[in-house]
Amino acid sequence: MKQFAVLQLSGCAGCEVSLLNASEWLDQYRLMYMPLVSSAYDVPEVDILLVTGGLRTEEDLYSLRRAAPRAKQIVAVGTCAISGGVANLGDRPEVREVFLSQAERHDLPHLLPTCRPIDVGVQVDRYLPGCPPTPELFMAALGVLPDFEPSMTVCQECGRGKPKDMRPTHLTGPQTGDVLPEICLINQGFLCIGTSTRGGCRALCTRPGYPCVGCRGPSDAFIEKESEAWLTAIQRVFAHMTAIPDEEINQALRSPQLSMFLFQFSDVSSTGRPPRQKETML
Amino acid sequence: MAKVTFPLSRIEGHAQVVIEVHGGRVVSAHFEATEVRGFEYFVKGVPAEQMPLIVPRICGVCSTAHHIASVKALEEAYEVEIPPLARQLRELMLLGQLIQNQASSLFLFTMPDRLGADSIFQTAEDNGSNQKSAVIAGRALQVRKAGTDLITLAGGQFIHPIKAVVGGVSSGIRAEQAEAARAQLEAVLPIACELFDYYCEMSLELRDRIGTWGDDAPAYYIAAIGDQLPDFYGDRVRVMSPDGEIHANFPAREFRDHLTFEEIDYSYAGQTSYMGQVMRANSLARINMTSRMGTSRADEYLMRFQQAFGKPAHGILLFDLCRGIELVYALERSKAILAEPLDREDAQVPYLPRDGEGYGLVEAPRGPLIHRYVIENGVIAKAEFIIPTVHNSRAIERALQVAANRYISADQVNMELEHAVGRVVRAFDPCIACATH
Repeated sequence: MKQFAVLQLSGCAGCEVSLLNASEWLDQYRLMYMPLVSSAYDVPEVDILLVTGGLRTEEDLYSLRRAAPRAKQIVAVGTCAISGGVANLGDRPEVREVFLSQAERHDLPHLLPTCRPIDVGVQVDRYLPGCPPTPELFMAALGVLPDFEPSMTVCQECGRGKPKDMRPTHLTGPQTGDVLPEICLINQGFLCIGTSTRGGCRALCTRPGYPCVGCRGPSDAFIEKESEAWLTAIQRVFAHMTAIPDEEINQALRSPQLSMFLFQFSDVSSTGRPPRQKETML
Repeated sequence: MAKVTFPLSRIEGHAQVVIEVHGGRVVSAHFEATEVRGFEYFVKGVPAEQMPLIVPRICGVCSTAHHIASVKALEEAYEVEIPPLARQLRELMLLGQLIQNQASSLFLFTMPDRLGADSIFQTAEDNGSNQKSAVIAGRALQVRKAGTDLITLAGGQFIHPIKAVVGGVSSGIRAEQAEAARAQLEAVLPIACELFDYYCEMSLELRDRIGTWGDDAPAYYIAAIGDQLPDFYGDRVRVMSPDGEIHANFPAREFRDHLTFEEIDYSYAGQTSYMGQVMRANSLARINMTSRMGTSRADEYLMRFQQAFGKPAHGILLFDLCRGIELVYALERSKAILAEPLDREDAQVPYLPRDGEGYGLVEAPRGPLIHRYVIENGVIAKAEFIIPTVHNSRAIERALQVAANRYISADQVNMELEHAVGRVVRAFDPCIACATH
């Protein structure tokens, strides 16, 4: 049997909760370490190490560096491991200093200056984006679903129709009213970015009527580019399908709810490191 | 002076227990949360209406509770009354979370303590005496998945729900989907009961072996449930005294008149107390305040429990047994809701955003959860998250102190203490991601 471990850094455990919704791994893998469900206090030698959560404390960095050499393959799982995730909102200049000075406790693991993705600390072999990735995606990452073929984009997995004559002039705000069941959310004025978001989630949110927030990051077409390329592509889609002013779209894309996902892959390029390669993406 | 540190596992998040001993005498027992992300700091400036999407990320285990507490806080600020259908669907989301949480706590977190295993995923080859683990693991995952599927159906996304919106919910549930979900719950209910019966049996054996259901003294209890039947949607917070009298009953808005919060220097989570006293939240608090669950099988379990342990009951390991009663209740209750029409048109009402202050209360699996927002110019000027695990911090430490006294003497530390520490902490099912947020 192959062996795997799950190392949880600073995050919400949503990735672990998702993984526990799958059971296909039970007869193919031994789970060697996952503090949420197992009393093992150190990562042993394993075939695959799934890392969730971002680097927020010194202890996160220490546990990660200690575990990394024992794994044949390291997978960064979820938005936090890939970018720092929602905690990145705390790295805005107006928040960061107050947070660091008021929250830190002397005798506990100290806070790093910013919340960082794990590939700042160790070499990562593969990335499994999603907030959180679905159980099916976890199984694909462990290789127990040989036939798994994700689509390029969420849009392709959603299947809502795109009527040419339905061109909204403004974004539909949070007060949604009724969502039409079979019609593309963009035609209904929602800021849905599923047209260029990486597929594989089976359009989990958009099918019941909630616009895609891009938690899986950009599709292969944009993954190796600056976030600006992705944002421009989203704007082009809206220019093509709606009559909503560019400026309105542009501003909405930068709101906190979306920005925590939209910039998850661009964070690294701003550190001067090369972008993550599309071959490493799941 | 010596310090003994116990790392913790099979709980949500990063925490440890540090027991300080001097000359065989226990000086202190600390429950230390070792992580923090700073939600109260970084949600400042966020457009208020985006909060229900951002706050589920406080915790992937308790995300539904945060999602709903958040819309409720906004609705109080905007003075919106939601339609009855929306309330039903939100209750369904909370029940899905309760199923998922209680099944995890019982069968993944604490069952190994009954079996003498490190994990329910330990296979037969790891430990010859634990062949049962493999069978239990598959069925435990099946039960908790029924909860997750219910969250997905009622809440949209499966971990971080999206369907509760200010004014109601974004859509109902179609009849054929409701029927499929009901059938799934129907199939899972006997499995859950069988696992829970086995759990009770193993808990009795554990009690016989360690000679107690958990030392420690009676305490105050806090919960936001109905006065007749369980109601996790949260209306008022109630506090029960150690002898079973309702001592306080207040809306979320008045929590500061009753609860005192303090920060502590050895943990990233603070502590709350009630009139300076230790209080307990979570399953045992709710069951102590409940005479009837209102569903048939859960009521049978409740009756047996209260006959055996009295009301209020105080043993620490009884928290775990109460979770089983609630698991059965949540399965039965959600089945009943799904049998009603849930695809009606009136899922939400219009509203006008405005500045002001709002409090949102729900009874999360771990106890009463309150979100408080101050909204200025449409954005969050201040946010406070009043977290159930924080209500339990002092109770956890008091119980740890008792356990430490039991196993530490002048000449030795009985290593059963390590197991006792794990059992005590897990009985409270703390959530560190929430507690520190």
